[in-house]
Amino acid sequence: MRFTSLAALLILLPSLARAQILNSENEPIAAMPDGFGLHYTIERIEVRGNHKTRTELILREVVLAPGDTVTADDARVERARLRLLALGYFVDVRLSMIKGERRGFAVLVIEVEERGTIILNAIHLGTSEATSLWGGLDVAERNFLGRGLSLGAGFVSSTRPKVDGAEPALGLSLRMAGPPRLHGLLLSGSALFSRGSEFFRSQGAASEPDPADFVAVNVRRAGGVLGAGAVLSRTAYLLAEGRFEMVRAEWPTLRDRDLGQGASQPIAFLVREGSSRLGSLALTLDLDSRTDPVLPRAGRHLVVSLEAATPACASQYTYLKATAQGSLYFPLGIGHIIGVHGLLGGLLGDAPYFDRFFVGDLNLLLPPRAYGINFSTQPSRNFLGTAVADHRYDKLAGRLLIEYAVPLWRRHSLLYRGDAFVAFGVFALTNPDDLGRSGASPGQRLPADLTADLGLRLDTYIGIFTLSVANALGRLPL
Amino acid sequence: MWYRRCLPAFTALALAVAQATPAHAQEPEERKTGINRRDGHLLVSLGLQDLFKAQDTQRLLSGFTSRVLVRIAILRLDQSEPVAQAMRQTEIVYDLWDEKFRMRRFEAGGKVETREVGNVTEAIDLATVLAGFPVAEIDRLEPGASYRLSVRADLNPISQELLADVRRWLARPSARSRTGSGDSFFGSFVSIFVNPRIDDSERQLRLVSPPWVEPPR
Repeated sequence: MRFTSLAALLILLPSLARAQILNSENEPIAAMPDGFGLHYTIERIEVRGNHKTRTELILREVVLAPGDTVTADDARVERARLRLLALGYFVDVRLSMIKGERRGFAVLVIEVEERGTIILNAIHLGTSEATSLWGGLDVAERNFLGRGLSLGAGFVSSTRPKVDGAEPALGLSLRMAGPPRLHGLLLSGSALFSRGSEFFRSQGAASEPDPADFVAVNVRRAGGVLGAGAVLSRTAYLLAEGRFEMVRAEWPTLRDRDLGQGASQPIAFLVREGSSRLGSLALTLDLDSRTDPVLPRAGRHLVVSLEAATPACASQYTYLKATAQGSLYFPLGIGHIIGVHGLLGGLLGDAPYFDRFFVGDLNLLLPPRAYGINFSTQPSRNFLGTAVADHRYDKLAGRLLIEYAVPLWRRHSLLYRGDAFVAFGVFALTNPDDLGRSGASPGQRLPADLTADLGLRLDTYIGIFTLSVANALGRLPL
Repeated sequence: MWYRRCLPAFTALALAVAQATPAHAQEPEERKTGINRRDGHLLVSLGLQDLFKAQDTQRLLSGFTSRVLVRIAILRLDQSEPVAQAMRQTEIVYDLWDEKFRMRRFEAGGKVETREVGNVTEAIDLATVLAGFPVAEIDRLEPGASYRLSVRADLNPISQELLADVRRWLARPSARSRTGSGDSFFGSFVSIFVNPRIDDSERQLRLVSPPWVEPPR
């Protein structure tokens, strides 16, 4: 049904019709002012039902105050209702008026029905050839102390990896963001600590995940990020972040890779031995015209970020990292959606391994990292027969993913909405040296592989969940 | 091989997806509809009072305007595009001091009708009952062809512009962090609630009429 354009016309009709109001006989009648001529002066505002959320926070979103005049069809009222619902603190919001002390005056009543605001961001759980078990949780309180502050915390912990010299992992994260504001800066900050091991191949074929073929670099990281964001337009958002962290790395005794037949080469551990500092400034531009941030039906989303780590930020690592991620959504006539997702990234300089492009971030079929900690020695599956199995942390990366989504249900229950999706894609990651190597095959210059996923994306009362085959595969040593 | 072990899971998920009914494509209810022809127009009579639930009565007394948008399309059964469309929007507002409902109905073409009623039931009826509502000129219907009506009623429809704003508020880009590997360390901070009440209207009703064959003229 092509109702949309005509519906838009009819929604606008009241305002259009006022200029030439006709009666049922198509004869002009007296001019009819907005809101049937009903307007009230707000005597006071009563907020009801907010047991936790502070009244000031609600009033700030409503932007109406005692003494203001409202008409019956005042656009500010519907806008305020939706704005309050969009905060995510309420199941329902109702605005109404009751008679005031004298004619023409009214009490504006805002009734809210609060909801739980603790949500689950992530469940870290998995097992791999290298790590028998890792687990953890990440939760967030969206309305901390009823002030609209977001407070999030998470942890992940693992058993001792089977790689020689590795230590059990522990990652902790604490994050806070100021109350959401329509205008002005939004401040955010996060603190982090991690202790764990990264694995580097010391022998054996690139396709073998055997932990005995790896050595461990034990790394501790502690630091934080401060950010300030500003809304530039309806679809554009700019975020500036400053980051600083202390890194301590213990290299293993074995520092050469056995290439066989008596040949060896030094292992590039990609992190400074001993203590080091990392400081950076980053700018992120977010252009988002999607119809929905979780289950979009149409629109586009582009995120471009640039991060610079320099001695001016007290950093001992100097690099420039640029990443662009874009998504396009095309609705099909039968209600299904095609999504095209692209990623391009490049890095100049000597970034530590954890800030390089990681194969597990590109390949949906590999175990995911948690707070930057990798738990697996699993290489990419190498469906294309390239040199991808030997690439884990690189400076150049690209991925193209095509996704087909089918909306399954929309209802008012604990599981609000659900989409089934299937995705196929190809990714590549390499280093400038490999890319320009003379005499190398295309598969060695630009190692690439296929990736895929199939699953359900759920929008629920306690957050957004993705149940997928790749997610399961990545957490099992298959 | 790992993918053989996962084959049952892939198959089950694929079957679930294949058999799922698309959310938008749920069959609308078929409702008895009066069809008449007078003065060269096809007239429709239909009750849509169930667009309002019990809790909406209080909303009607809020002092703020409530809107009911009814859209009707005539579909020829062997064609996908509608033959004709008609719409009607009704605004209802309760006058706090005079304690009566003031109503205003707009129809495509600029026709405006105003009324005052004394109780909620009467107000709902005026907004949701179509009695001899002209949908199309008879000449647009071919005698002998089969047609049916597709009806959608919305309570308090939201303009696309406002809806776009709401989506932006929901997106909360401030909560995002840099893309790339840094995200994994700092954690995903995209904590979004999507309130199911934020839709392009507060409530919708989708119906179809029983099919009919247009009689010869």
